Amino acid sequence: MSESDRFKKQAIAADLEEPVSEARNLAEKLGLEPYAVNYWIVDYDEMNELIAYGGFQNRYPHWRWGMAYDRQQKQGQYSGGKAFEIVNNDNPSHAFLQESNTVADQKAVITHVEAHADFFANNEWFGLFTQGRSDEQVDAAAMLERHARAIGEYMADPEIDRAEVEKWIDHALCLEDNIDQHRVFTRRLETDSSDRDLDEDLSAKLDELGLSEEVKAEVFDDEWLEQMDEDDAPASFPDEPERDLLAFVREHGKRYDEAAGKAVEMEPWQRDVLDMMRAEAYYFAAQKMTKVMNEGWAAYWESAMMADEGFAGRDEYLDYADHMAKVLASPGLNPYSLGKQLWEYIENTVNRREVIEHLLRIEGVSWRNLTDVVDFEEVLGHLESPAAVDAITSETLDALEEVPEEWVDREALEAAHAGEVDVDRYPWKVLTYEGLARRHYSLAKRQNRGFLSRVSQNELERIGRYLFDDARYSSIEEALADVDFTAGWTRMYDVRESHNDVTFLDGFLTQEFITENDYFTYEYSQASGQFHVSSVEAADVKKKLLLQFTNFGKPTIVVTDGNYDNANELLLAHQYNGVMLDLRKAGETLERVFELWGRPVNLLTIVKELDEHDIEVARRRNREPEPEERGKLIRYDGEELTIEDVPWEAVEHLAADDVDYDTKPEEWLA
Amino acid sequence: MGLREDIERFREVGEERREDLAEFIQYGDLGSGRPDDIQIPVKIVSLPGFEYDRRDQGGVGQGQGGTPDVGQPVGRPQPQPGDEDGDGEEAGEDGGEHEYYQMDPEEFAQELDDALGLELEPKGKRVIEEKEGPYTDLTRSGPDSTLDFERMFKEGLKRKLTMDFDEEFLRELCKVDGITAREAFEYARGQNLPVSMAWIEETHREVADERGAWPSIEAVEESVERETVQQKIRREGLKHVPFRREDERYRYPEIIEEREKNVVVVNIRDVSGSMREKKRELVERTFTPLDWYLTGKYDNAEFVYIAHDADAWQVEREDFFGIRSGGGTKISSAYELAAELLEEYPWSDWNRYVFAAGDSENSSNDTEERVIPLMEEIDANLHAYVETQPSGNAINATHAEELERYFGTDADDVAIAYVNSEDDVTDAIYEILSTEGETNE
Repeated sequence: MSESDRFKKQAIAADLEEPVSEARNLAEKLGLEPYAVNYWIVDYDEMNELIAYGGFQNRYPHWRWGMAYDRQQKQGQYSGGKAFEIVNNDNPSHAFLQESNTVADQKAVITHVEAHADFFANNEWFGLFTQGRSDEQVDAAAMLERHARAIGEYMADPEIDRAEVEKWIDHALCLEDNIDQHRVFTRRLETDSSDRDLDEDLSAKLDELGLSEEVKAEVFDDEWLEQMDEDDAPASFPDEPERDLLAFVREHGKRYDEAAGKAVEMEPWQRDVLDMMRAEAYYFAAQKMTKVMNEGWAAYWESAMMADEGFAGRDEYLDYADHMAKVLASPGLNPYSLGKQLWEYIENTVNRREVIEHLLRIEGVSWRNLTDVVDFEEVLGHLESPAAVDAITSETLDALEEVPEEWVDREALEAAHAGEVDVDRYPWKVLTYEGLARRHYSLAKRQNRGFLSRVSQNELERIGRYLFDDARYSSIEEALADVDFTAGWTRMYDVRESHNDVTFLDGFLTQEFITENDYFTYEYSQASGQFHVSSVEAADVKKKLLLQFTNFGKPTIVVTDGNYDNANELLLAHQYNGVMLDLRKAGETLERVFELWGRPVNLLTIVKELDEHDIEVARRRNREPEPEERGKLIRYDGEELTIEDVPWEAVEHLAADDVDYDTKPEEWLA
Repeated sequence: MGLREDIERFREVGEERREDLAEFIQYGDLGSGRPDDIQIPVKIVSLPGFEYDRRDQGGVGQGQGGTPDVGQPVGRPQPQPGDEDGDGEEAGEDGGEHEYYQMDPEEFAQELDDALGLELEPKGKRVIEEKEGPYTDLTRSGPDSTLDFERMFKEGLKRKLTMDFDEEFLRELCKVDGITAREAFEYARGQNLPVSMAWIEETHREVADERGAWPSIEAVEESVERETVQQKIRREGLKHVPFRREDERYRYPEIIEEREKNVVVVNIRDVSGSMREKKRELVERTFTPLDWYLTGKYDNAEFVYIAHDADAWQVEREDFFGIRSGGGTKISSAYELAAELLEEYPWSDWNRYVFAAGDSENSSNDTEERVIPLMEEIDANLHAYVETQPSGNAINATHAEELERYFGTDADDVAIAYVNSEDDVTDAIYEILSTEGETNE
């Protein structure tokens, strides 16, 4: 970095010091509990580099980062797109601000980052990697740097072919999603078969005997060990299907030695690389599992702070609105807008439920007649934030004496009176969490004003039937005075703690939401040769969407036998959920798995077959041909990839039919 | 370690992987490439993994202004939220779902030449007159700005030099005692002075009073200093150069006969009922790389797309591979339309390729009575027919066979190729592109 460059960055950093510390204050007032965040000012190239390297400065040497950088740069060139923010999941988190961003952009990034840091710190799925010690032990940057150094050293080792290391990394990366991401990360796979330990023990004992290498090689060579192993080994292992393929090959895999023409033990560096790749896969898994939630969460709070709380100055607001609109408007289902909408939906429905529960306790109001006898305009009038908390300036501080005690941050108010707090600039400082919840109450916002009255009869009935304490209030005003205005936020905080994208979408994607946003499913028609809209039903949309999020949107592959055919072959199984594998890619992946197993590898799966004739006939009748499900065994023996039919009995156990992901209606093309 | 090295490695790896061009043509997703922008997924870049079959998986979309109707076709599937590679990136806008190696058509053509061992040399055809060389040629008329003044001045000067004469001397000469105009003229001509008889006569009259000032011509020669034209110009300056219209020359550019390599490619596809999805796809796999290749080889490539069943009609590229219709098949309809459309692309100016594809089904006698004569009639570097029959030959599907019987297998401007599976695609492309004879034109 040149002197002037450093100087410039320092100047920007100085300008951002206040926004950074105030954003943190505001975030905490709003109930967020972020990790500490270190902010760095970087230039355009540095930003591209950071993005390419997944948000960290030191990663192992690999072409994929070069590729990502190349792509990042081209994207910038072609689309004029600028990178706004990058923050990594670590404690403390590190966030990077691009020096060329406008101040409004920087502020938006900072508020966005604070929310991400809260999510990293509090979402339980992130805790799996740190084994529940989430707060102190992430240490991601240190881990990745350690990996970078170790792999760099292997590559520099004259004994090891650099290209081999890179290829080995490639093999492992092919399985990076084949881990058991719902399990707490452990460094080693706990094997339940004790004979493995015996093997380890045996080797260890031999080591203890202090025999010379020559003797060991003569007498107790690998083959001998293997034989011992085979003698004791049960016919097949693992006992239960194993989802963590990376761990399994790390424990039991070998490598194929071209020269020797057989499987030999992996080199120590190879096992080490597998360990590292696996640890990184687990580290990044939580982010992949919570993309929609996490982005939505950040977008939600960014908007609350920037727009609603005026964190962007009036002059910066247009810049900000423009930026936000661009991010939310990217086509398709983008995680920012989907997530943000869902969070808002949660907030609104919980708040609505809270209000309805109180309204139902008014004398003479029941779920049957609520929409007829309650004047929603009046209700909304009461739900408006009182002027005292809505518009706070140094002139109106006295009005805060009239509002409930719990809304007001006494200490800050004193300070404001004394002129120590700039209330005109940071009005939120004199409020508490409860006060801010009142100030930001969702149902009173202009865009949500119709939400309350849109409550369905169904929902009213559901709430009404489970309601205790009927008939306590005599008027709307009295009923609403008891409403808990923090209900929406409280629920959101619970959800951000325990959910991942799958449960999030499953729990909160409703008919109302799907219809309102015009979502639909599509399926491929064999008869017409293209995709068609297949359903607009909420249940179908949700099902399809969940398919894309469950298990990283990938099919579930498990190890069912590490001693297949009693020949030490690997048998994988595809747990078929009605959607077949991409067979080409499966074949290519098997070729990689072979490298990590050293011996032939097999995959049992179920495919759907159709012949040209069936398609022809179906097309003439204007309907979709009915494919036939068949069992297949894909096998790669190191030389040749084969696919053969297996009897249905061999795969029957793999077919699960609890969810039907097919959304094709009966007569959809007619 | 470090960025530079990782980029370097990526380049190397990318290079290695581009050997897979043939494989890409056979199996890759061609849809994302247009003739002017070819995107080839770099295979290593998307390391393989266990994934769902894209078609079987289906997807979720968001309607633009309203929920669409069930059954309505959707275009290319929208990017799905699960598609992107998380990897901790919080970058605002994520990239697409695949990694592409972008190639321009020239590069593609070069790669394909290397991959398949092709040697197609495009021919320059149309002379582009606009191609102007230096302004070295001259003509007698033209805009003022191109008038060659230097030349005109020189010509004028030359004329002046030849026409001008020493007027003073001749005037004195006319004063010689008893001299007649005729004698003075003859003397002057004897001295090679370019004087006219009329001038002498006039001067002779003017000096009539002074006649006798000189006793003889010799006395004049001795006493009067003669001045050459050059001396006179030097003394008087160049007061007047006689410009004449006949000396005017205008510069105009030398025409360099630059020949542009133009190509027009006619893609004809049978879209009748019998053309199933598989056949459709195989045609796309064969035609698209041909389009790219020719785009890369020629300076200027234009494409004409014709769909036909029993009738033929012109379509846009976007629609060409997707169209399905009912009806029978009459291949000649497409050639008739092709002949008509090609009138805009005269054979003298354009290289022409006419590629047709179908499953060889045709109305009876159409091939022999109409198609073959049309193929012979339409001038083209190459006519090709791509037969696609993934599920074996139908009995009546004899179009390709008949063409082959008529034109023979080694005709140098007709190629017949058979594509029954993805594996045949590159062979077919080779067959077609290696057929074009060297003897054209």
